[in-house]
Amino acid sequence: MPKRRKPADVEDAEQSTPRKTRRTGKQDDNIESPSLAVETPSGRKSILRGTPSKANGVKDVDATPRSLRKVLFSTPAHKDNEGQQQGEGTPTAVRNDRSARRKSARTLQKQTVDEEGSVEEDVQEAELAKEILDEEGEAASEADDGEDIVVPEPSSTTNTPTKRRGRPPKQRDRTPSPPPDLPPHELYFFQNRTGGNKTSSNTLPSHLLLNHEDYFAHINDYKDPHEMDVKRLAELHKRAFDQWSFELEEGFNICLYGYGSKRELVMEFAEHMYYQQAYIHAKSKPKIVIVNGYTPGLTIRDILITLAGAVLPKASEAKLPAQPTAVLDLVLTHLTANPSSSAILLIIHSLDHSNLRKAPIPSLLARIASHSHINLLATVDTPNFGLLWDTTLLRQYQWLYHDATTFQPYRAELDVVEEVNALLGRSRRRLGGKDGVAFVLKSLPENARNLFRILVAEQLALADAEPGLHGASLEDDDDDSILGDSDEEAAAQHTPSRVRRGRPAKKAKPSAKKATKPSATAVPEGVEYRTLYHKAVAEFVCSSELNFRTLLKEFHDHQMIESRKDALGTERLVVPFGRVELEGMLEELA
Amino acid sequence: MEYEKCYAFEPESVRPAKRRKIESQGLHASWRARHEAYQKAWREQKQRIDAELSSINFSTVQELTTFLDEAAQSNSSEAIPTAILSTGPDTSSHTSVIQQLSRTQNAQARRVFISISATTGANLKALLKATIQKATSRNEGIDDEEDDSTFQRKGAKLLNYDLQILADYVREKRLQQVAIAIQDTEAFDSDLLSELIELLGCWLDRIPFAFLFTVATSLDVLQQRLSRGAIKCLKGQLFDVAPSEDEVERAFEAIANSSTSLWIGPELMSTALERQSDYIQSIDSFVGAAQYAYMSAYYGNALSIFLDSAIKASEVSADHFEALRNLDSFRDYCRGLLDNNAIIPLRALLDSDDSLFKVVGAELSRGGEALANVMIAVEVVRELQLWAQGSRATVPSKSKLYCQAMANKLAGSSLVRSLLLSTRKAPSDAAMRTLTAVMGVEIPKDLKQQCAKIKKELTEMVMNQPNIGQTLRSEDDIKNSTLRTTVVAQKVELSKQKSTLSKQDAAYTALLRRFTDLLEEYLNKTLIDPKSLLFHEIFLYDLKSPHRETFTPRPRHAIERALAAPHDYLDCSCCAPEQGDATLAASQPATAVLYQLYLESGSLINVSDLWQAFQAVLGDSEQTEEQQMALFLRALAEMRYLGLVKGTRKRADHIAKVAWKGL
Repeated sequence: MPKRRKPADVEDAEQSTPRKTRRTGKQDDNIESPSLAVETPSGRKSILRGTPSKANGVKDVDATPRSLRKVLFSTPAHKDNEGQQQGEGTPTAVRNDRSARRKSARTLQKQTVDEEGSVEEDVQEAELAKEILDEEGEAASEADDGEDIVVPEPSSTTNTPTKRRGRPPKQRDRTPSPPPDLPPHELYFFQNRTGGNKTSSNTLPSHLLLNHEDYFAHINDYKDPHEMDVKRLAELHKRAFDQWSFELEEGFNICLYGYGSKRELVMEFAEHMYYQQAYIHAKSKPKIVIVNGYTPGLTIRDILITLAGAVLPKASEAKLPAQPTAVLDLVLTHLTANPSSSAILLIIHSLDHSNLRKAPIPSLLARIASHSHINLLATVDTPNFGLLWDTTLLRQYQWLYHDATTFQPYRAELDVVEEVNALLGRSRRRLGGKDGVAFVLKSLPENARNLFRILVAEQLALADAEPGLHGASLEDDDDDSILGDSDEEAAAQHTPSRVRRGRPAKKAKPSAKKATKPSATAVPEGVEYRTLYHKAVAEFVCSSELNFRTLLKEFHDHQMIESRKDALGTERLVVPFGRVELEGMLEELA
Repeated sequence: MEYEKCYAFEPESVRPAKRRKIESQGLHASWRARHEAYQKAWREQKQRIDAELSSINFSTVQELTTFLDEAAQSNSSEAIPTAILSTGPDTSSHTSVIQQLSRTQNAQARRVFISISATTGANLKALLKATIQKATSRNEGIDDEEDDSTFQRKGAKLLNYDLQILADYVREKRLQQVAIAIQDTEAFDSDLLSELIELLGCWLDRIPFAFLFTVATSLDVLQQRLSRGAIKCLKGQLFDVAPSEDEVERAFEAIANSSTSLWIGPELMSTALERQSDYIQSIDSFVGAAQYAYMSAYYGNALSIFLDSAIKASEVSADHFEALRNLDSFRDYCRGLLDNNAIIPLRALLDSDDSLFKVVGAELSRGGEALANVMIAVEVVRELQLWAQGSRATVPSKSKLYCQAMANKLAGSSLVRSLLLSTRKAPSDAAMRTLTAVMGVEIPKDLKQQCAKIKKELTEMVMNQPNIGQTLRSEDDIKNSTLRTTVVAQKVELSKQKSTLSKQDAAYTALLRRFTDLLEEYLNKTLIDPKSLLFHEIFLYDLKSPHRETFTPRPRHAIERALAAPHDYLDCSCCAPEQGDATLAASQPATAVLYQLYLESGSLINVSDLWQAFQAVLGDSEQTEEQQMALFLRALAEMRYLGLVKGTRKRADHIAKVAWKGL
């Protein structure tokens, strides 16, 4: 790797930034919406910079996705107008590039990049279809069932021109959607066929994506037109409360599935059970334990301790064993020995959450559920939860499943903004974002605030000051991107994948326009531990290293900083936020 | 509270005390009475099942006990006595054996049972620790501090995985045996298991160990997995545990017991049996299925209140009688009365609740009897099958016959006919056995008498025949006739020639015919259609509906349906599909809209395009773009949460499709 990268670095040094090069190459054919420039996730840029060869850097300019193989072995000149010269290409070249679909996709993408208009796109697509049909002759038209361009046999390209001319160009309705009423498995294969994915290369301007604040503001404003219907649906489920309590009483456990958050429904059931039991056993207090399976960082120990709190007498609570199994044994034996008048109701929200999937947890929970004095009511959200339990566990769980589709939003279960960011691979902002940090800082002493200010300022300064360092310290770039980077590189070298070449260029371009300076997250990442310490001492923020560490720990706990080792093994402290946010923080702190 | 990890529930709103219980009205008002009836009915049934199931492995448990006792007596310190249970693939039955074993042993507390499994510990230390803990803290409960001190008293503090603790404990309590049951030998790491065995072998002189291994595969496999040293430490004996199919049959017999008040119908029973055989589930789940059938019958059917024989007419509200009069079977019955001009009793039934109550009581017991008779007839058919086919293995199970009979598919079926035919062909010794077997069943008296008569005649016939010892043959058996082919004018003529049969044989054939005719008549008479019985809706429970959904749910289908056709659940006026087919509409919930767009797209989805499409679907509604985006984000997040999409690194701003609808 280092060897390969070297030329790039040299180039970097010569020209001001790598991005600039790219931009010059690309300027002519790309006029992207300026909005893109503002926000392209900077994590991605590092991927680009990581691309090994100089040649690639130049080629990235071209948004058309094309196979790596071609890129490596053909001259750039040829490539650039390849799309247009299909007809004149040497027979071998034509034969080698035999995928009509790939060709069409390429042209299509090029066009869509140029002008983003769906109407025009349609027209162009039709033209393209015509062209292809013209060219490919019978092979295409025979095999095609009208929906899509089919990969023609290689031989078809060698058809004589006369023959090709002879065929009347067919103009058929080409719909992007599959033929209606395909059986599910056919649909699967249809959508997974090679080259079946013709997606545009549009990107979602990030200003459209909302941050937490805006998201909550808007979602709270939103009034669901189905509110009444959702309520009615919940009422329907509530009618089954008596049935559920009967089923629990008979030693079964209940598992609720279906779309929508079942939290509210289940909480109402808990209340129902509470009053029912309070009514029957007037003296003892009903014991209902709630577990929110979706809360991050939930461990089996949390559950067991809460359960132990409900079961064991107060005195013995203090000295619970350390091992979860031991706690469980203790609880269960105690419960068997002194059964309470009414069974304990254990409610677990989102039992299929990844928190509760790891090895010992399901079997422990199943053991809890199998106890005759504990009734379990659990909700599951994913459609494939059935795969979580084998026969042994199922035997212990004794499930009765009920469809409890509620259509209620997963309000507590989901952090929508985080979730979408993770889905789209956008820079993952830490929970709480900038405001979260501000909130934490507010509760910290003056010294801590000062330290954080220094750290942020240093990080920004470093980012601004040393662009030349990027290449060298690329490895200790943020984890995700470095991973993705090498992944993609490896993949690119093995598979001549079409898309890859084009994409990173697009991602990089906006930032290139935006500033010559690299943005914060892509920087050599953070401030050296020593440097920061000395700065802090110099500013009288702290007097000893111990002191310094204590302050840092607080930041660590709130995930406001991360510590990483760079290639040389020196520890670096990083505030994992974007440049804009860092600047905002600095302003607030100053 | 929703962001707390876990907590003990306290209701947020303090409800006024009076609102706690609202008296239910209508048919549901009888729920409490039905609940009691259910408990009574199910308790009886459960006892029967338990008795049946505990008897199934009774002999095995006995053998095991004697084995362990002998081992405890002999007290040899050469090898660990080991009982190896071969269970076949279903290890769950083994657990019940162990449970029974430990239960019978509880009385004389000279033996400790410890059950460990592969999940108990991943290394020797953890295993030993768990074993010692389980053995020593058996009765002490929480306050095990004293125990600690007793151990410490003897000198240096011992580590908690030191077997010396166990040895001391054994000496102190004068235990005769420490039996270690290993539930899943296959799941153990073979080195670990060998190590454990060897180590325990070393302690055998101080602690009287015994092993109980469960083997799902075979003994050879176990032997191969263990080290030579470990095998030397063991002195094994193999025990067989009844296979799970037997268990199911036994449980079934207990459930379809003739004294039951509620019968489980053929559809439901076959569903439960099928589920049982499709996924080798433990017998518990089968019993659970039966229990659930009882529960739903009593909970869902208000008329089940009449099943309780102790109920009085005054305790039943008028609603129930009204419901009774609306039953299909009752209406048919009334029509029958009307056709027979029995106006007065009909009037009484329609007007007076008391007379109806009497009829219900009588009819329910009559229906129960009829079904019990069906069971007996099933038994007869089964006996015939057993003798006709020779070996037990090939005979279909009784539960299958039951399902056929209850679905009224047995009377006059080809199965019965062929059975009777083969009986007709039987030689005298086989016929004799069949007769005896049939008479062994609790058949009605008159049939029994006639059978006895035939049997007597048959015995005489056999005794009186000239050459004693030879069996009488039936004319109907083709073996006793020969086919003769003659060529006449170039045509092959086939003629059947009865081989010479003695006069006794002819008489025997006639007798056999009498027997089979008798049986046929009996079967046709007894194997009635249960659905033709009056009030069968009450005592015959055969609804698949709640059973199937509660035991074999289709969660994925439910979610897909909710998203693809939200109207099915929401039943709102705005999203009603125009012509049957579900379509996209702006009024649908955002996730549903997005899901349907998702269904249309390929395996990679461009989020930007998805957003545009989403916006296009929502149209120019009153929402702002930001609000639409908020909805879009939420829908997208939900789709990810449900596992329908995942992020992809293939292209920027793309997501990958994970689930295809209907697959």
